[in-house]
Amino acid sequence: MSSQSPSLTTRKPGERIFCFLLVLGSVYLFWQAYKISGFSSLSSPGAFPLAASAAMVLASCITFLNTLKAPAAEDVRFVYHCFPPVVAFIMALILIYSVVLESLGFVLTSFVFLFISIQFLYRRSPLTTLAITLLSLIVVYIIFRLVFQVVLPEGIMPEREILSSITSLWR
Amino acid sequence: MDAFNYFAMSWLSPELLGLTALGTFLGIYVGAIPGLSVTMAVSILISFTFSWDVNYALCLMVGVYMGGVYGGSRTAILLNIPGAPSAIATALDGYPLAKKGLAGEAIGLSTVMSVVGGFVGIIVLAIAAPTVSEFAITFQPRDYMMLGILGIMLVGSLSGSSLARGIFAGALGLLIGTVGLDPMTAEERFTFGVVELWDGINPVAVMIGMFGISEALHQLHHMNKAVVKQKISRIIPKWSDIKKYMPLSLQTSFIGVIVGALPGTGGDIAALMAYDHAKRVTKNPKVPFGEGAKEGLIAPESANNAAVGGAYIPMLTLGIPGDAVTAVFIGALFIHGLNPGPLLLVEQPHMFWFTVGNLTLANIFVLIFGLTGIKLFSKIVECPKGILIPLIFLLSIVGAYAINNAITDIWWMLAFGVFGYFMRLYGFPVGPVILGVILSSLTDENWRRAILTERGSVSDLFINMLHSPLSTVLFSVIVLILFTKSPIWTKWLKRKVFRPSA
Repeated sequence: MSSQSPSLTTRKPGERIFCFLLVLGSVYLFWQAYKISGFSSLSSPGAFPLAASAAMVLASCITFLNTLKAPAAEDVRFVYHCFPPVVAFIMALILIYSVVLESLGFVLTSFVFLFISIQFLYRRSPLTTLAITLLSLIVVYIIFRLVFQVVLPEGIMPEREILSSITSLWR
Repeated sequence: MDAFNYFAMSWLSPELLGLTALGTFLGIYVGAIPGLSVTMAVSILISFTFSWDVNYALCLMVGVYMGGVYGGSRTAILLNIPGAPSAIATALDGYPLAKKGLAGEAIGLSTVMSVVGGFVGIIVLAIAAPTVSEFAITFQPRDYMMLGILGIMLVGSLSGSSLARGIFAGALGLLIGTVGLDPMTAEERFTFGVVELWDGINPVAVMIGMFGISEALHQLHHMNKAVVKQKISRIIPKWSDIKKYMPLSLQTSFIGVIVGALPGTGGDIAALMAYDHAKRVTKNPKVPFGEGAKEGLIAPESANNAAVGGAYIPMLTLGIPGDAVTAVFIGALFIHGLNPGPLLLVEQPHMFWFTVGNLTLANIFVLIFGLTGIKLFSKIVECPKGILIPLIFLLSIVGAYAINNAITDIWWMLAFGVFGYFMRLYGFPVGPVILGVILSSLTDENWRRAILTERGSVSDLFINMLHSPLSTVLFSVIVLILFTKSPIWTKWLKRKVFRPSA
């Protein structure tokens, strides 16, 4: 199973470590699968997880051994080609988003999230970003909250009161 | 007569008609915008539509699927960037055509031929599925187990760079699917004593993470690619062209249906094989392949849309997805309480004919939207990624939250998103993970049923397996894949298709 496409004859920085971590993770999962019902019988609840995790251990070992053989790719740097700061930044942003989503509410969190990420990725004047953010947030809100009726966390915004006061204007 | 009523259901109800149109429209754009995939769109849509009536949700998703497969061709032709994997072969001759100033004609022709392919796929689905499902009722548990494993292995070996990586991804998916209380004995599996894990990990969160977040994170690498604009002339293709290429289109459509119907192979493989076929049968092309041969545009386009109908056959009759998109689709059907499998056609024939009618309708909308609105199209596709990507993140997060109104699902989505990012980075395919999650319980339960009926004896299982022709075939195919290292085959296929054109 060592045949690989030409693009993989070299390895990217971090690939070895990632594959090694996969081996470790697979072994851990294999041990966890063993703890379900051991090797008691072939139809036990643990049999299938054992087989799946054994396949993972085997496959990850083969991949790891292959990366040991492969020469490192030239001119590829981890921080530049594999895990650039922008990816880390966005990951962190999503993490923060999901932490504060329930307490601050959908509208506020999303506004801040969109503003920061669009400003960061699109790099126009803050006013343009603000306009784009507001517009897209309104569209998303109308489509998902009002048309699709998706329940979104309200947080500190008294959304329902605002909505009902708007609807009462029409009557 | 009943069948016809169900078939026409989405045609007669204005809401269903509108939703199918909307879905197809969305699908074309999702498919066309590089970085957005149909799999991503359908997994996000599941979370928003799960509270809807099943018919409404299906209309929208079928439209997205059909439109998305077609939409990928647009950017392949205009920008040389296949919007979807199934459009890779389209770019080989589509982009040279556009460079000659024939972009409009290329789009028009590919639209018509996609629709032709789509119809062939649907007709085959309507004829073959009832037969396949009758046959499928005779399947033994061991056959289902092997079909499940086969599907994962095929996707793993064809979509990734090496079989080992594909198997790893598939096995990981199977394992993710087993988390929670065992459905047969209610024993805890991988719950680590956490009650929240009793219900398992939400497959939709895994899907959105793997296809939404991780894909969008990867897009961050290519933020500043310049877009080349093409002039678009007439778009309605010449009637003489359609007539001339119809035989080729029909041939490749049949290739598409068959490849689409095989577990593990979808529109991308179908398109590549069709391209290869067109090259072999066209003796004296007016323009050499790779330099703007219309044959090279028509073949993959007919085939990949025909593969949609083909992919529905194993999905509806066996409950086995052919590729990542159909895996997500099966997830959607489960969420709506439908049980795709051999009994679906017996117990809920209306669902089947409704789907066939829907696909037909969506195909017609592809024709309508495909030949109009090209100005609007070039505007939307030029939407800067700096705006698009934050919106994908937002929709992914909201989508993950909306399934159960639980923050836990966002955590799972994020975890799988980050993990999926690294998997993609280091050449692990993510499609098999989703297939594994969807097929996990089917494979697990059927394995245990199979071994229980043999009273726990593996040798009896093998002996009985060899008595049944179907089981023998399935088993030998699995062994064949494992030991002949199917990567060689893909390498052969890729070489055959790409080398002369490169």
